[in-house]
Amino acid sequence: MDYEWDDDILAFQKELRTFCEEFSTDLRAAEDQAGRDLVFKKVHGEMERRGWLRIAWPEEYGGGGKSPFYQFVMVQEFSYAGIPYGGLSVGSIAPALLNHGTDEQKQKFLPGILDGDITFAIGYSEPNAGTDLAALQTRAVKDGDEWVINGQKIWTSEAHVSTHLWLAARTDPTAAKHRGISMFILSMDTPGMTVRPLYTMSGVRTNEVFFEDVRIPADSLIGEQDKGWYTVANALDFERVSLAPTGQLARQFDRTLEYLKEERTEQIADKGTRQRLAELKIDLHVLRALNIVNASIIANRETPTMEASMTKIWSSELRYRLSSMNMDLLGRYGGLRSDDEGLTPVDGQNEQTYRGSPILRFGGGTNEVQRNIIAHRGLGLPR
Amino acid sequence: MDVSLSETQRLIQDSVKAFVESEIPFSRIREVESSGDMDRKLWKELAELGWLGLPLAEEHGGQAGGLADAGVLIEALTRRAVLVPIAESVVAAATLQRHAPTDVAADILPDLANGTSIAVPAVLEQEDSFKTWSIEVGADGTLTGKKYFVDYGGQATHHLVAARSDGEPGLYLVQAQTPAVTTSAVQNIGKVPQAIVTYEGAAATRVCGQDGYEFLVGLGRLLAAIQCVACSQQALDMTVDYVAMRVQFGQPIGTFQAVQHHCANMATHTLASRYLVFEALWRHDRGEADDTQIAVAKTQASRTATEVTMMAHQLHGGMGLVTEYDLHFFSLRGKQAALSWGSSEECLGLVSDTIEEPEQWL
Ligand SMILES: Cc1cc2nc3c(=O)[nH]c(=O)nc-3n(C[C@H](O)[C@H](O)[C@H](O)COP(=O)(O)OP(=O)(O)OC[C@H]3O[C@@H](n4cnc5c(N)ncnc54)[C@H](O)[C@@H]3O)c2cc1C
Repeated sequence: MDYEWDDDILAFQKELRTFCEEFSTDLRAAEDQAGRDLVFKKVHGEMERRGWLRIAWPEEYGGGGKSPFYQFVMVQEFSYAGIPYGGLSVGSIAPALLNHGTDEQKQKFLPGILDGDITFAIGYSEPNAGTDLAALQTRAVKDGDEWVINGQKIWTSEAHVSTHLWLAARTDPTAAKHRGISMFILSMDTPGMTVRPLYTMSGVRTNEVFFEDVRIPADSLIGEQDKGWYTVANALDFERVSLAPTGQLARQFDRTLEYLKEERTEQIADKGTRQRLAELKIDLHVLRALNIVNASIIANRETPTMEASMTKIWSSELRYRLSSMNMDLLGRYGGLRSDDEGLTPVDGQNEQTYRGSPILRFGGGTNEVQRNIIAHRGLGLPR
Repeated sequence: MDVSLSETQRLIQDSVKAFVESEIPFSRIREVESSGDMDRKLWKELAELGWLGLPLAEEHGGQAGGLADAGVLIEALTRRAVLVPIAESVVAAATLQRHAPTDVAADILPDLANGTSIAVPAVLEQEDSFKTWSIEVGADGTLTGKKYFVDYGGQATHHLVAARSDGEPGLYLVQAQTPAVTTSAVQNIGKVPQAIVTYEGAAATRVCGQDGYEFLVGLGRLLAAIQCVACSQQALDMTVDYVAMRVQFGQPIGTFQAVQHHCANMATHTLASRYLVFEALWRHDRGEADDTQIAVAKTQASRTATEVTMMAHQLHGGMGLVTEYDLHFFSLRGKQAALSWGSSEECLGLVSDTIEEPEQWL
């Protein structure tokens, strides 16, 4: 038992903070969305240049070989500063490629992923395959040295801005449902694909993607045919070190508190208000503790069983509780949107998080499924 | 950063568990509980095995362990519901070791380590507050007044009494088995021996001032929090075993998702409280834990003990309430520990008192 952060981790945290401050200054100076996109692109490039995107990857994969805690602090700090870190392409696709791709596939995709030139949308969900993902129906049929894809995906976020799709499709319809699935990578401009937008109340756009006789070369298959379920399940553990960082919510708490201290001196003196803030602070400390436990298990080269699920549940439910409580404390002002210039406190962050908060409760493995995992894998309860 | 138990801590956990499971049947707990006394036989055995000196320096006959090690010991004992003042004694002994003048410490600590003396803290008064107690040490160095809710106050040989001298708060060591000290037992939900103590001109030796008092209260809170975690963990484990075995509608009730999800929530609360408390304890040992961090841990642990043990009852149905079954030890002691050294309500108040202060989230 040792709750001290090593000096090198603290030094790294300091470096990250300086980096994040510069980023925030640049972002504030950007005049429009195009300007902001440029800042993000620059940040991504700079992170890769410093080796941060792969900081905890094993050295034989071209990584920094640092302790998973480096990644942990980095994700915490970026999340606090509101910098999107690497995204799913770096976080999930690259590790899956490292684990299951051929040398040619690694050569073809990894450098682009790390430079930010290749970005992925994730094509898992279908209209009839949500929580029961293995029920997916999109078909891939081998035809000579090509695969032919037919079917439909839904909730394919970023499909309209990504260069590639990471696709799960059924290759053996006669096998048991987990067994006949394979993984593919295809370029988003392959003929036969149609992307239709779905706008959500959270503000994020997602998509439906339709496939009509979409032909892709044989080497688009990633990992073993019909074993796609396991390709997905075995993403590398070092990427699981910070699934649900405390940073963003902590920042929202800090900023709302700051606002109340400066603008609402009477309210912040009120016992009820202070206790509600104290409740949130305790909940954030619980999230912090769960995150550290999860990271510490991974840093000891063990695999968390129920700890990752606990962290995911706590974080997604706190997302809703915290943004809702902050809005309640701010009253009508709390309901103002970020695009109302002038009156909106805390840049409308609480309102925005509240609207988006349902997503993480059912996304990434619904919280009901996470509770099943805790019960079965963690506690050993019968199925 | 490594949250896992050290080799030594695992050894403490395993050996204490093995010892209590083979030596202390729950029938023994029932007997001791109805006697109103502490388990004196067990106390002697703990002394012989060296556990009482765990956090004390070798020069005092101890084993030079840390406070977190003592936490592991207390958790293992609490999970058997034993009635001994182990937490109280660690609070008093660790405070004496760190804050008492060397002669006072050298005089009493070896006897605490070998079990011939028992020291417990005596802080609260009638108004039940950790801030406003007012008992004064007279010019003649004696104490007169009353202390409330003194755990094992009637069993201890020494009390570490919070008292003021010229208004200055401090801690004073008082010999408890003398005519100047009388105790009357109070009946509480945990059936833990507890007393109202009356001091009438009791001789008091000064131990320390405000610093020592704050250390004592912080440690008291955290060791009560450990007991909350222990009761929660025990109730959770008993529940998991029970629902896997209890059959209704032709299947174990543990196969029902509603039941599983309650168990998952119990496990999440218990695990989070465990690590919050151990981290705070580890930092308190180094003088790094502030009052807020301690209060955060105690609030969460107190709530966990209450919610987890009561959900354990829900999932046990009627059987959980039967006194022949063992769950009630943990639900009632759990609530007792939740109230001890600051309830969730009091500790939440402490967190809200300092709400303006910026937080380190890493
Ligand atoms: C904004 C947004 C972005 C998304 N982005 C992507 C993406 O990029 N790529 C992608 O592939 N998917 C994406 N998703 C899909 C997301 O992963 C699914 O919504 C999620 O898996 C849940 O599936 P569902 O919506 O079909 O809900 P359902 O599966 O219909 O679930 C509805 C409710 O029923 C419960 N339920 C279902 N089965 C059980 C059970 N066995 N036991 C108990 N309760 C159960 C669920 O927990 C949930 O509460 C996105 C979704 C949204 C809204």
